[in-house]
Amino acid sequence: MLQILADGLIIGSVVSLGAIGLSLTFSILRFANFGHGELLAWGAYVALSALAVFAALAGGAHPIAPFSFGWPLLAALAVAAVAVSLLALALDSALFKRLRRQGAITLVIASFGAALALRNGLLFIYGGVPEYYSQELQIATALVPRRILGGLRITPDQMFVLALTVVTVIGVHLFLSRSTLGRAMRATAMNPQLARVAGIDPERVLRATWVIGAMLAVVAGVFAGLTVQLRPTLGLDLLLPLFAAVILGGIGSVWGAVLGGLIVGVAESAAVHVVGAEYRAAAAFAVLILILLVRPTGLFAEKT
Amino acid sequence: MATLALDIQSLEAAYEPGLPIVRGASLAVQPGEIVAILGPNGAGKSTLVKAVAGLVPITAGRVLLHGADITRVPAHRLVFEGLAFVPQTENVFANLTIAENLELAAAILKANRHERLDPVYAMFPDLHRQRTLLAGRLSGGQRQMLAVARALIARPRVLMLDEPSAGLSPKLVGQVLEQLRRVRDTGVTVVLVEQNVKAALAVADRAAVLVEGREQLVGTAAELRADARIAELYLGRHVQREQVQGVA
Repeated sequence: MLQILADGLIIGSVVSLGAIGLSLTFSILRFANFGHGELLAWGAYVALSALAVFAALAGGAHPIAPFSFGWPLLAALAVAAVAVSLLALALDSALFKRLRRQGAITLVIASFGAALALRNGLLFIYGGVPEYYSQELQIATALVPRRILGGLRITPDQMFVLALTVVTVIGVHLFLSRSTLGRAMRATAMNPQLARVAGIDPERVLRATWVIGAMLAVVAGVFAGLTVQLRPTLGLDLLLPLFAAVILGGIGSVWGAVLGGLIVGVAESAAVHVVGAEYRAAAAFAVLILILLVRPTGLFAEKT
Repeated sequence: MATLALDIQSLEAAYEPGLPIVRGASLAVQPGEIVAILGPNGAGKSTLVKAVAGLVPITAGRVLLHGADITRVPAHRLVFEGLAFVPQTENVFANLTIAENLELAAAILKANRHERLDPVYAMFPDLHRQRTLLAGRLSGGQRQMLAVARALIARPRVLMLDEPSAGLSPKLVGQVLEQLRRVRDTGVTVVLVEQNVKAALAVADRAAVLVEGREQLVGTAAELRADARIAELYLGRHVQREQVQGVA
């Protein structure tokens, strides 16, 4: 029982971070970006390349005990965040900006195309073989003995992922609630026309949305690589859980995306343990349907 | 002759290319006046002020703000030029508190928060008392006050409002319009679009009647109140039929 919950929270951490970015994009850019999952995958792989460079420069990965990784991965994460932010801005400039006047449907279809191109780009560069950030063996620590609700075992890397997810989510919350740019983003999401007459530059807000969404996607992608493995279909595999989390939490809400992600994660984990891994996506969507029957706007949809 | 606060010259504006809503409207607003834009539904009143505010594409004509051409200035830059606009509906950020609405307006301008907020709170003490309340929870009248207060944070030279009395009770309409008179007394020029002609003419110095996208009648509030055509069409007073032809 506890193990199902912990596994779900770890899956949910990745989904939550990705879902925050997707939710921001959805509410500010006003279209469902089906390419968002690919930003996670690109983040994970760019970090892998940067890690290889840093590890070569440092003469090794220098793991920081008890984790399987060292500062080279953290530096690689920062490099990937910058690189994928630039990729997202380039995508917007080359594709979405040109189609913005055509309406949301055109943008959604364009995002499908972008997703295909990005996914196949990864396959072309890295091939289809799964990759890992580290070959270090991680031993799960027993935090709760087996006699209590089945026990709980967790690896140091998983604890790191959970802790950094909490820090990241609090950071995003503080940014959106306290900073001028964050408040401008919330204002634009709520009422773009009023935001313009209030003096908020819509293009600046759009750029900030892409950058923040991309950075969160990179953190989520690296966490996915750290706790599972890297594969070029990572973005596609995570796309539906991301959308389920955003819809479940309520479009535009950071806390909604977080809670939606955690619910999706726990539902997937429970499905794996109870009915088998092949039903994990179905379980997440069953929860989504149940909650939407009760609250059609999601759990935390921002009111107008 | 002093430079006009707002000079709208033969303006044409359209949501869709080739389908102009505003068709050659002109309006000269002197500094420190309250000018009301009146007219029947579909006359293009709201579209005119939205076009001036940069929210509807201008296809012909010019707009000068204190002599400076602002025709092509993007909507988000106009507040820096001294023009503030209060839309008719959804004119506050409902997911932010009263204080956050006002602080955001000051922060966007990179202005000192206290310097900007204190005078506005002094003018609207109710907003100060309820500053931690979400704007989405305010009544219609309070929302309108907050919308005006948010616009005043920018210390505009010209304040434009689109139907500030819409959806308000007669008592609240009086309060909101009286507030606009106090705003004018601080040196701000006020341009308001109104359906409530009686209330608008009670507060305005001058008014323009817009019909089919261009001004048909411009005069002082007293002149328009006395005009038989206005009385028949908007104030509910009966006059001879032939007198009203030419306005509607």
